[in-house]
Amino acid sequence: MYFPWTEKYKPKTLKEVVGNPDAIQKFVEWVKSWDKGVPKKRAAFIYGPPGTGKTVTVEALANDLKMELVEKNASDYRTEEAVKRFAGLASQYGSLFGTKRIILFDELDGLTGTADKGGVKAITDIIKTAQCPIVLVANNAYDPRFINIRNNCLLIEFKKPSPTEVLKHLKGICQKEGIAAEENALKFIAQRSEGDIRSAVNDLQALAQGKKRLTYDDVSWLGYRDRQETIFTVMRMILYGKTCEGAKRAVDMADVDVDMLFEWIYENAPAHLTDPHDLARAMDALSMADVYRGRIRNTQDWSLMRYVVDFMTAGVAMARVNTKTSGWTPFHFPERIQALSRTREERAMQLEIGRKLKRRCHISAKRASKEVLPYLRIIFKNNAEMAAGLSKWLDLNMEMIEYLAGSKEKTEAISRLLG
Amino acid sequence: MSFEMWAEKYRPKTLDDMVNQKEIVERLKSFVKSRNVPHCIFAGPPGTGKTTAALCLARDLYGEAYREHIMELNASDERGIDVVRETVKTFARVRSIGEVPFKIMILDEADNMTADAQQALRRTMERYTETCRFILCANYSGKIIEPIQSRCAPFRFTHLPREEHDKYLQYIAQKEGLKLLDDGVNAIYEVCSGDLRRAINTLQAAASLGKPIDAKTVYSIAGKANPADVQKMIETAMKGNFLEARKQLRDMIQKYGVAGSDIIRQIHTEIFRTEVPEPWKIKLADIVGEIDYRLVEGADEEVQLSALLARLVEAAHEMKDAKKV
Ligand SMILES: Nc1ncnc2c1ncn2[C@@H]1O[C@H](COP(=O)(O)OP(=O)(O)OP(=O)(O)O)[C@@H](O)[C@H]1O
Ligand SMILES: Nc1ncnc2c1ncn2[C@@H]1O[C@H](COP(=O)(O)OP(=O)(O)O)[C@@H](O)[C@H]1O
Ligand SMILES: [Mg+2]
Ligand SMILES: [Mg+2]
Repeated sequence: MYFPWTEKYKPKTLKEVVGNPDAIQKFVEWVKSWDKGVPKKRAAFIYGPPGTGKTVTVEALANDLKMELVEKNASDYRTEEAVKRFAGLASQYGSLFGTKRIILFDELDGLTGTADKGGVKAITDIIKTAQCPIVLVANNAYDPRFINIRNNCLLIEFKKPSPTEVLKHLKGICQKEGIAAEENALKFIAQRSEGDIRSAVNDLQALAQGKKRLTYDDVSWLGYRDRQETIFTVMRMILYGKTCEGAKRAVDMADVDVDMLFEWIYENAPAHLTDPHDLARAMDALSMADVYRGRIRNTQDWSLMRYVVDFMTAGVAMARVNTKTSGWTPFHFPERIQALSRTREERAMQLEIGRKLKRRCHISAKRASKEVLPYLRIIFKNNAEMAAGLSKWLDLNMEMIEYLAGSKEKTEAISRLLG
Repeated sequence: MSFEMWAEKYRPKTLDDMVNQKEIVERLKSFVKSRNVPHCIFAGPPGTGKTTAALCLARDLYGEAYREHIMELNASDERGIDVVRETVKTFARVRSIGEVPFKIMILDEADNMTADAQQALRRTMERYTETCRFILCANYSGKIIEPIQSRCAPFRFTHLPREEHDKYLQYIAQKEGLKLLDDGVNAIYEVCSGDLRRAINTLQAAASLGKPIDAKTVYSIAGKANPADVQKMIETAMKGNFLEARKQLRDMIQKYGVAGSDIIRQIHTEIFRTEVPEPWKIKLADIVGEIDYRLVEGADEEVQLSALLARLVEAAHEMKDAKKV
């Protein structure tokens, strides 16, 4: 399975965050100043272009200072009512367990339209009375919607890191991946990213994953032909290929690895092969490619890779019988990979609860997280007494209880019973 | 206040307490009597008493302090060869003191062990037979490599029959002071099809609502416990909206962590209820079966199941065409 390097090499501590030393310093000092009492500005507003480390900085700081980070995206706080649910959390610096708390409202730009207006207002209200540090993050702090928020916040600007700084980060990754990379090649990627570290890391992964060495020639084509352009060309060769040979050749042209290419095809094939029979054939071919991937995994016989390639390229190309090639349909980045990293955190929590179940129930953590946890969830939502008993029996922590109960009121009812 | 998961609270302690699986229990008891146990494979569907039987056998054999003589290892969590090399070997080679000259290693969910790890196990099993006996629990014995199967006595666990299932649930209900109505028990059997772990969990979740347990309660619990709204996904596909159906599938797998095997089981049930031409039903069943097998082999759940969704789109489309004629 494809695991994004942006996640794998995400800085865990502030020391690893690249660039913006002054902004980070200002932020750290403000957070630390809370120890001496509530400062003048109760919220910090971090803003700057995508992929410069805003979210990462807040996460790393919480980690370094051992603070409890309550992290929310725009989708969690659209409405006034949704925001108010966090008001209680904001009214205390120390949490139940004595760790200090910091609240992050991330991706503020995501609030749009009138429905979200209430959310912006409610956040402003919370800021005014907050008893713990609140951090807001957005790309554009000067959006007129944020005017009230802005006036109440310590403004911290994140600038694009320099190519040298980006380069340093890329070098570190190559070293850990055991890739011998030419300085020129990495410089090229760094420059092209224009300070967006996320996209630089993505480019690096697309170009270098699985390779032993990365040369300037491997990347220079990015110069005259955009990376996206190439994957699009490859996709066209496969989804609109007339011959098996032609479709198969696409693999050599693609500068992403086979797993990633599979994801691209799997994502895009349905929109380009809309006839139900064609669609069924294409998905069938992809499922066969996947079967061969499994056989490789089980036997470690990599020569089977040619069949994976056959099915996912030629197999998909030959699926087109009825679908007309007229019209223009765009290609897009595999959504499933993005979705996967989004839900990763939730699944980690499920597995942690699974581990608790395992200790008691003679069942693997994996299966418990899928088969037993849903019932716990029902119990925790409906019966505080039973939930409290089970929490004790399973030795669940507060975070787990909150996850299972799904709401603050229920969590409180349960913790009251726990004494 | 004392609450535990009822599936644990009511897990049988000795072989005599086990429900059903009569022949198996008899044979296991004869092992206890002769104080000798061969390597065993306990195979069968989930929640039929495999792990329980292994634990009961150990308790009957060693007495209350049985924990000192056994080790439980779950292969789903520790699938690698290193575990066999280190943990298993270390445990297996040290002789146990006491009346029974060997220890027991319970390798649970053993069908999730990698082929390598199984190969490594094969030698260990032979080398240390004198000091350690292995009980492998698995849903599919087919996933245990031949050489290991040949070293083990096979035991086939089957789903609990209707009467036994009902009786056991009513027994728990009575102990817990619940009002469990007849149609409630029926519904539990229908949604859990004899998987006792699932049945007891369903019962406990239903009990948490604090009212008499009837069919309606059970179905609503089963629905909630299964965010897999498979029916809706099938409908979406049959309307021809593949992309939306695939999105729903993705949510089930990624967001709610529903097991692919659960989704496929429900699809199988639903297929025979949907409005596709009769001959298509059997064609689809064939595809479902094939995909079920692939999932067991460790294939990518979303990729495989979405191939099935595409077939549903196709089936619905053909049906529409046929009507036009
Ligand atoms: N300064 C940095 N140092 C190291 N890695 C970084 C940095 N900035 C970004 N990255 C990499 O890019 C990924 C995304 O970073 P992050 O989530 O902090 O972006 P952001 O600034 O919050 O962007 P957006 O405005 O799009 O939310 C990180 O997981 C990390 O791998
Ligand atoms: N044959 C049985 N007799 C009594 N209880 C059973 C039986 N099978 C399953 N159960 C109940 O279901 C739960 C799970 O059983 P277990 O033996 O762990 O299943 P598996 O076959 O999946 O290993 C047990 O805790 C017990 O409460
Ligand atoms: Mg961000
Ligand atoms: Mg078991």
